Amino acid sequence: MPDTQALVNDFLNKLKKRKIEGSQATAKQTAELLRSVISQTRMPYTNQAAALIHSVKAVGERLIAANPVELAVGNVVRRVLHIVREEDLSLTTAAMAGLNLSAESDDEDDTDRDNHPALSAAAIAAASRSTLRPPSLQTLLEDVPDSAAVPHTSSSGGDSEGKSKSADKSSRSRKLKHDVIEAVNELIQDISTCHELIAEQAVEHIHQNEVILTLGSSRTVLEFLCAAKEKKRSFRVFVAEGAPRYQGHLLAKELVTRGLQTTLITDSAVFAMISRVNMVIVGAHAVMANGGVIAPVGLNMVALAAQKHAVPFVVLAGSHKLCPLYPHHPEVLLNELRSPSELLDFGEFSDCLDFGSGIGAPLLHVVNPTFDYVPPKLRRA
Amino acid sequence: MKQPPQKKDGPPVASSIAASERIGVDRSVEKERKKDLPPPRKQFDDESRGGRAKRRSVLNQPEARNRVELFRHLPPHKNGTQLPSLESKFFELHEKHPAVYKVGLQYLAGDLSGGNARCIAMLQAFQEAIRDYSTPPEKTLTRDLTSKIGGFVSFLIECRPLSMSMGNAIRFLKSRIARLPLTLSESEAKTTLCSDIDRFINEKIVLADKVILRHAATKIRDGDVLLTYGSSCVVEMILLYAHELGKQFRVVVVDSHPMLEGQKLLRRLVVKGLSCTYTQLNAISYVMHKVTRVFLGASSIFSNGTVYSTVGTASVAMVAHAFRVPVLVCCEAYKFHERVQLDSICFNELGDPDAISKVPGRVDVNYLDNLTDKQKENLELLNLKYDATPSDYISVIVTDYGMIPPTSVPVIVREYRKEYLLI
Repeated sequence: MPDTQALVNDFLNKLKKRKIEGSQATAKQTAELLRSVISQTRMPYTNQAAALIHSVKAVGERLIAANPVELAVGNVVRRVLHIVREEDLSLTTAAMAGLNLSAESDDEDDTDRDNHPALSAAAIAAASRSTLRPPSLQTLLEDVPDSAAVPHTSSSGGDSEGKSKSADKSSRSRKLKHDVIEAVNELIQDISTCHELIAEQAVEHIHQNEVILTLGSSRTVLEFLCAAKEKKRSFRVFVAEGAPRYQGHLLAKELVTRGLQTTLITDSAVFAMISRVNMVIVGAHAVMANGGVIAPVGLNMVALAAQKHAVPFVVLAGSHKLCPLYPHHPEVLLNELRSPSELLDFGEFSDCLDFGSGIGAPLLHVVNPTFDYVPPKLRRA
Repeated sequence: MKQPPQKKDGPPVASSIAASERIGVDRSVEKERKKDLPPPRKQFDDESRGGRAKRRSVLNQPEARNRVELFRHLPPHKNGTQLPSLESKFFELHEKHPAVYKVGLQYLAGDLSGGNARCIAMLQAFQEAIRDYSTPPEKTLTRDLTSKIGGFVSFLIECRPLSMSMGNAIRFLKSRIARLPLTLSESEAKTTLCSDIDRFINEKIVLADKVILRHAATKIRDGDVLLTYGSSCVVEMILLYAHELGKQFRVVVVDSHPMLEGQKLLRRLVVKGLSCTYTQLNAISYVMHKVTRVFLGASSIFSNGTVYSTVGTASVAMVAHAFRVPVLVCCEAYKFHERVQLDSICFNELGDPDAISKVPGRVDVNYLDNLTDKQKENLELLNLKYDATPSDYISVIVTDYGMIPPTSVPVIVREYRKEYLLI
């Protein structure tokens, strides 16, 4: 446990200081961190799933609080929790199915202790019912842990049964952890390969002699376009530079290195050029539950222009970016302001930015948001 | 005699003035109106028309590297690196008046920018040239002076393509020269012309701006948040005037790379004590929630209500429209043009492509240094200077003739354009 604590704290620091760039990297590191947390969790005999869920939730809440704008963290935590619940469910249903159906007794409180299978069946049934059953309103309101319901039945059985049951349960607990960690590994694998999977669909959407517009730089978009290029589709790309981070320059450099005809334009020229563009393809930071997209700043403008000229606006996002939250006032609550020095050089404007010169209220504000919200109706796919 | 062909879309004066001289000074109004229909413009890549101008051009054509195919019809940008070669040619260009030469250099170096400033500088340079002009023997004043002015204009076009305001001013000047009564002596003609130019500058620009100020200031209320884009002299005057009137408002200055004109405007506003917010074009969706009015300047307005202005204005107007914020365009009436433009591509001005790849003051984002040749052949850089905003995004146009909707622009062009031609 101590070294996972150290890992967790380290990751928390990185999140708070915004040292990790990009939702894919964040998602991957979150998943790996949770995997180590899970493997280190000490599993009680009863209701291991709840213990796992509890520990993952505890870590997850701290992670989300460190960087609320990085929605990929929350998404990964929720998916890991879902994995735990699913694995637990599939194990209990497998166990139930494996045992003799005749030996099942539906009785929760008083079980027949004569034969082991029946008892285990009862215990398993009880355990599975506790996982299958959504938490009752009473447990939610009073914050009574779910696992309290189960020990009543299994403890009465545990003393008398002893070894066989504990052996059974410990093997099951090991299996649960093992399955969960396997599933988390699959999740990490998914996150790493999301670009390839998306890029495979590129050929369906990009045809010959098309003109594509994009803004800023997204690795998903880069892989997408290169995959289409591999399939010998010749097309042109307009890249808008995406001030003030100017990531469009990076993307343009990458694209020309791979041999694509690229034109670098300023963001202000997007409206002028969009009438000659066939499709707009962009990457996203996160996709919300209503279909709205949190995207790098400037994309709302591009989406509006695309809508005016009836150009399809396509958003590429890996599954770790899908977020079950609904955006409320996303421009302010789900946004971050970056340093004003990217816009104004402090040295040049120090005379204007000097608040201490006696004029009370600061005369000059500089606004440098990171993200933009694109409402779902502007987005075609 | 033939005027030297304009290399690009200059005002269609050459043919119409030559025709008028053949027919006579006084002709019916209908014929004039017909001749004022602009002939199709000479495109840059049209060899038959552009050839002679290219041969007579003074500046070297920049190499055709990184020319975007879609914009082949526009002349490439001539950047300030041509200055030394142009300066060395000064003594060869004895037919160009030094004042005109100076203005041309200022255009080339980018020191003078903004429709009004360029127009005023050009007209004052022409005034000096006219004062120093003396008619050679065996030639009439009107024809020779017109051809000289035409020569100056083509020189200025080479330095930097004309803006619409300049085009209209040149058309005015040439028509004034053509209308000079033949009975005037040379010195009287010259003083008449100079005073006409002064009157034009005064009425159409200086006084017009004052009227616009007064109209626009009525639209600013206390507690407003006003957004402006780039640096327009008219909008700056409006903001300072309203501030002097004592209205309490905040200003959001939106800027864009690579010109970064907003920074100059920002400095001037903060010095006068207005509270400002500064941001880049990408963030307008973020700030537009709080904005109550948008004030924009224009380089020209076309007959279908399309506003031709600094690149990026269209995006600002579009986002303002999406957020239901009224957009006011402030433009003097002399900048109106009877042409119609559908999009920003058929007519535009290309800026320096290298300006995009360099970001001033930020070394960390210079990703585009050190490109290999293979990379360079695939990469094109496009730096547009202007764009066309559709009229449905504009709420009202504030001119010296009052506050008009975008649909009334052709009315103004039709009714009031004749007025100053007939002065």
